[in-house]
Amino acid sequence: MRDRLSDLLLHRELLYNMTKKELKVKYKRSALGFVWSFMTPIIMLAVFGLVFALLVKNNMSWFAVYLMSGLLPWLFFVNTLMQSVGSVVGNPGLVKKVYFPREVLPLAAVGANIFHFFLQMMVFFVFLLIIQWQFSPWLAMFPVVFLLEVMFVTGLALLISAANVYLRDVQHFVELATMAWFWLNPIVYPVGLLQDKFPKYMPIYLLNPMANIILYWQYIIYNPYHYAHNVGAPGSSAVYISDKAMLYTALISFGVLVLGYWFFTKTERGFAEQI
Amino acid sequence: MAYAVEISDVSKMFKLYHENVRSLKEKVLFFGRRGYEEFWALNDINIQVKEGETLGIIGANGSGKSTLLKCITKILYPTKGRIVTNGSIAALLELGAGFQPDLTGRENIYLNASILGFSKKEVDRRFDDIVGFAELERFIDNHVRNYSSGMFIRLGFAIAINVDPDILMIDEVLAVGDEAFQRKCLDRIDEIQASGKTIIFVTHNVELTKEICTSVVMLESGNIVKEGNPREVVAYYHQSMETTQEGAERGTKQIQVTGVGFLDDKGNVSTNFHTGQQMIVRVHYNAEVPVEDPVFGFSIEDYRGFTAFGTNTKLKGVSLGTLEGEGIVEFDLQSLPILEGKYFVSLAIHSQDEQLVYHWLDKHASFDIASDTSDIGLLYIPCNVNVFPGGK
Repeated sequence: MRDRLSDLLLHRELLYNMTKKELKVKYKRSALGFVWSFMTPIIMLAVFGLVFALLVKNNMSWFAVYLMSGLLPWLFFVNTLMQSVGSVVGNPGLVKKVYFPREVLPLAAVGANIFHFFLQMMVFFVFLLIIQWQFSPWLAMFPVVFLLEVMFVTGLALLISAANVYLRDVQHFVELATMAWFWLNPIVYPVGLLQDKFPKYMPIYLLNPMANIILYWQYIIYNPYHYAHNVGAPGSSAVYISDKAMLYTALISFGVLVLGYWFFTKTERGFAEQI
Repeated sequence: MAYAVEISDVSKMFKLYHENVRSLKEKVLFFGRRGYEEFWALNDINIQVKEGETLGIIGANGSGKSTLLKCITKILYPTKGRIVTNGSIAALLELGAGFQPDLTGRENIYLNASILGFSKKEVDRRFDDIVGFAELERFIDNHVRNYSSGMFIRLGFAIAINVDPDILMIDEVLAVGDEAFQRKCLDRIDEIQASGKTIIFVTHNVELTKEICTSVVMLESGNIVKEGNPREVVAYYHQSMETTQEGAERGTKQIQVTGVGFLDDKGNVSTNFHTGQQMIVRVHYNAEVPVEDPVFGFSIEDYRGFTAFGTNTKLKGVSLGTLEGEGIVEFDLQSLPILEGKYFVSLAIHSQDEQLVYHWLDKHASFDIASDTSDIGLLYIPCNVNVFPGGK
C-alpha cells in the first residue's frame, strides 16, 4: 500500500494534468462552456423551489438557501460518481497501452468535480453576500465537512470504477441508486419533518453517511439557530447534529476511502485484460 | 553487475472464455457452468538486460513478444515469476495512446509526458526539441483532432523519445513516418544508446535488430528458443521461418526427390558460393514404379520469396523417357549473377501437362552467396563507370 501511495505521489503531476483535461474537454466546443456547470443547480432550484415552497407549504424561511446548501454538495457527490464509474472503462487506449497508477483515472474525475463544486459554491456565496446573509461562525468548519465528503465520495469512486471493469452493470446500477438515494437525504425536505413523523426511524435514517454530511453542510451554511430563531413549523427543526452520528460518519467515510483504495489496487492488475 | 530489467521465471496465462460475460444476468445464468481454456502466452521466461544494453525481441506473430513487453511495463502482470526493473521506463507501445483530440498539440505534449511519468519541468526543458523533432512548429497550438495521422504519430514518437527515460521500450513503432523521419528516429536511438540508456525493442523487422541491438531474444509460442548475438539469432530466425511455414511437401511420390546437392566448379559439394561462380544443382531421384516422361524443375528464391530464376527439363527441351529406380538429374548453372544473401531452392517433379505432381518440395534447400562487390539489389550486372569531365 505504501509503495502504491508513493507511486501515486510520483504521478501527482499526471493527476493534475488529467484533472485539467477532464475540465477542459468537458466543455470544449460548447458556446456556454462553464456556464453549463451552473445550469443543473439553477434548474433544480427553480423546480424544487416551486414545488416545495409554493405547492407543498413548508413555512421555512429562506428555503432557497436551505435547498442550495444541501443540493450543491449532493450534486458534487452524484456527478463525481457518475463521472468516475466509467473512467477506467472509458480509457481503453490508456489502460491497455501505457503504465501509470490507474487510480489517477477516477481521482481525476473527483478532482474535476471538486473544481466545479467550488465554482458553484463561490457563486452561491456571492449570492449570500448580496442578500446580506448572516453567516454562522460554524462556517469555519467548511474544510472539515468538505474533507469528510471528499473521503466518502473518493472511496466510492474508486470502488465503483474498479467494479465496473468486471461488471458493467455497476454503471447502470449507480445511475438508479443515486436517483433513489437523493430522497434519503434531507435536501428538499427538512430533517425535522422526519423527526416529527417517524421518530423511530431516525437512527436508521442517519445510517446513511450522505444524510449526515448534508446535515453538516446545512448546519454550517444555513444554520437557522444562528440566523433566525423562528424556523419552520413548531417542533420541526431544519438542522440536526449528533455527536454519535458525527463520529460514525467520520469513521465510515474514512473506512470507505480505505476500502475503495484497497479494492482498486487489488483488482487493478486485471484491468488491461478485462477492458 | 546492475541489471536494468531482470525477468525471472515469468509465465503468463490468459483465460480464454468463449464469450466475455460482463453483465450480472449473464454471470448468474452461467455461474459455475462456464469453463475457460488456459492459454499460456509466456512460459518460464528468463532474461537479464544489463544497463546500457539494447535488447531485441523477435518472433513470429503470436509468439508472446508484446505480452512480454506489457508485463515489463506493468500493464499486464505475470501469472508466475517476477520482473524487477531499475529506473524510469517509457514505453512506446502505441504512439499517441492517450492523446486528447480536443486539446492542442502543446497541451497534449504535457499530458502525454506526464502519463509517461515525466514532470512539467523536464518537458519545459525539452519542449522545443520535441516540437522540432516532430516537425510540428506551425501546428503545435492546433487541436490534435485536426492533425493528419502522420503528424499524430510523429508527435507521439517525439514525446516518448525525447523525455529521456532510463529504459525505453519500443514495440513495432519504428515503421512509421517517411524514410527521413525513420532515419531521424534511428539516429536518436543511437544517441540514447551512446548515453548509456537501456532499450528493449520488439519488432518484425529482424534486419534492423542486427543494426541496433547488442543482443536478441527469439520467442516461439511463449518460449525462448534462441538468444544471444544478433547475427546468429536472426539467422536462426530466418531458418526457422522457413522450416515452419515453408518446407512444404506434396505429390503422389511415384517418383520422388531423395536428395539434392549443390556442386561448385571443382565438383565439391558446398552451400557457399560467390557471385558469378558456377553451380550444379544435383537432384537424386527414386522411382518406385516406372514413370513415363516426367519433368524435373527447380527454382531459386530469395528470402522474401521472390523467384530469381526457375526452369525445368521441358522448358529446356529435354525428354527424360521412362524412369525407374534411382538416378540423378543435374542442372548446370554456368554462372550465378546474383548478389550476396541467402537463397532457397524449390524442386518439383511433375507430368508433362503439370496436371500430376509426383513430388513437390518447397524451399527444400538453401545456399549462401558471398560477394566482393557492395552493389545492392538481387542481380549482379557488371558495370563500368566512364567519366568525361567537360563532356565528350
